[in-house]
Amino acid sequence: MSALTLKLKTDLAQRVDCSPLTPDKLAGKDVADIAAMELVSGRLTLPVDQLFDISGDDVNDIRFENSSAKLDHIGHAMSQGRITIEGDVGAYLGQFMTGGNIEITGNTFIYTGCEMKGGQIKINGNAGDFVGAARSGYKNGMTGGIIIVTGNTGARTGDHMRRGMILIEGNAGEYCGSRMISGTIAVLGDVGKHLGYAMKRGTLLLTKMPQYGITANFNDCGSHTLAFLPLMFASFKKLDSQFANVEGFSRVRRYAGDVGGIGMGEILIKI
Amino acid sequence: MIINGVSIDKTFAEAFPMKGTRIIITAQNLEWAMHSATAFTGFATSVIACGCEAAIERTLDPSETPDGRPGVACLIFAMGGKGLAKQVETRAGQCVLTSPTSALFSGIEGDDGAEIALGKNLRFFGDGYQISKMIDGKRYWRIPVMDGEFLTQENTGVVSSVGGGNFLILAESQPQALAACEAAVKAMKQLPNIIMPFPGGVVRSGSKVGSKYKALNASTNDAFCPTLKGQTKSELSPEVESVMEIVIDGLSKEDIDKAMRVGIQAACELGAENGIRRISAGNYGGKLGPFHFHLQEIMA
Repeated sequence: MSALTLKLKTDLAQRVDCSPLTPDKLAGKDVADIAAMELVSGRLTLPVDQLFDISGDDVNDIRFENSSAKLDHIGHAMSQGRITIEGDVGAYLGQFMTGGNIEITGNTFIYTGCEMKGGQIKINGNAGDFVGAARSGYKNGMTGGIIIVTGNTGARTGDHMRRGMILIEGNAGEYCGSRMISGTIAVLGDVGKHLGYAMKRGTLLLTKMPQYGITANFNDCGSHTLAFLPLMFASFKKLDSQFANVEGFSRVRRYAGDVGGIGMGEILIKI
Repeated sequence: MIINGVSIDKTFAEAFPMKGTRIIITAQNLEWAMHSATAFTGFATSVIACGCEAAIERTLDPSETPDGRPGVACLIFAMGGKGLAKQVETRAGQCVLTSPTSALFSGIEGDDGAEIALGKNLRFFGDGYQISKMIDGKRYWRIPVMDGEFLTQENTGVVSSVGGGNFLILAESQPQALAACEAAVKAMKQLPNIIMPFPGGVVRSGSKVGSKYKALNASTNDAFCPTLKGQTKSELSPEVESVMEIVIDGLSKEDIDKAMRVGIQAACELGAENGIRRISAGNYGGKLGPFHFHLQEIMA
């Protein structure tokens, strides 16, 4: 069996909802069935084979080629299997996913890993705003799994995040960790303004002092050696990420906040 | 069967099922890990009065511990999962949480994922300042304490185990019996998955089931008490002046089999010329437990 490959035929005029194209939802379907499936695009529904050239037959290993930033909801609620994407994708990549792997060689639009519960998303590029966040009006962002971004993320990374990890090899945008409930966001690069805004709990792990400093909403708790950090760095070793090569450290400066709220979150900065 | 002049009795040791777990205590250095582990496994020689049986299994190199610090592996056994959970929790709370620089981890996967709380409830000591961290699918708790932060895994695995494996060393004198026990314990300590929970691994007060006193359900094993040779139905020949027992708890029957073989062999190496006369075992006619360790089969 070879990977089920979906090669986008043309530039898209409208956004396409690709949520039916997951290993779970394609299980038991042959290529003819998949070709006849309909996808919502704007006000139309279009058969899959009108949008994609289809080859291969392994629905547990799906490959999008020539992908576009107008393909939304790829990997929606997937629980197992693998999706590989060559090119950019649109919004809501891996929304509600509970397991499996998604890897993309381009950039993602907003709400990557929105409310995901498990599995892993690796973005070999940049991610848009609201990575691992909750949908507008919802209280819980991602509650499990790992999102790795080799490039930069937009604003509001981890907004309302409740559990899991977001590992950013580049820079994070403004309001990183905003309204975070728990979980861990680690950034190897820089972070934008308003770091940890309205953060309740959780950990923001940085390798250097942010360019805009720490806001007045976080109180300095001093320098410490924290025993959980070596365990966390050890868990990174198995990842296909720069984080696997980071020399583990346990000495950090700890800032607690956002004291405008319950103030139980923490920013840890390597010293 | 005779090994090096030592007679191996045609009898069996009788053991019973227990629930067990392994915990790992780490610290800034081995000395402090050992302080904590020694306290954790204190007063844990017999379930009869201690509620559990526990001992240090071995020391661990930094490369073997979850946090890369020196550590100590401890095994702890109780008659059931509930009793084990209570013992682990109270001991962890009083002996590990309190010990400077310590951290506490599970050292075993439970049968079919069975788990008991390790630091799950200790977290409340943090008074709301405790922090949970999920790392590699396992939950840890960071509890702020005066020396920094106490890190503990939330749960530890529970496995079906075997308690009460044993053998008796019968010698011509007390020093000779003790020397044989020391040799046996030293050899057995090299093995994984077992502990000898009594002081130094040796028991001098083996018991029989029942007593003339109604309040007691165990009493001295008079048949093996050398001073009673003329007063009771003794198991001892005239030249035997001292008997000592080694009790073994293990994660499986096979682990105890192996430990008994190694221990008996070490005792027998001293031989009759050093006053070691017989190896026997404590059994209660099959009433105590389903695991029977036949000495001659083990040594065959």
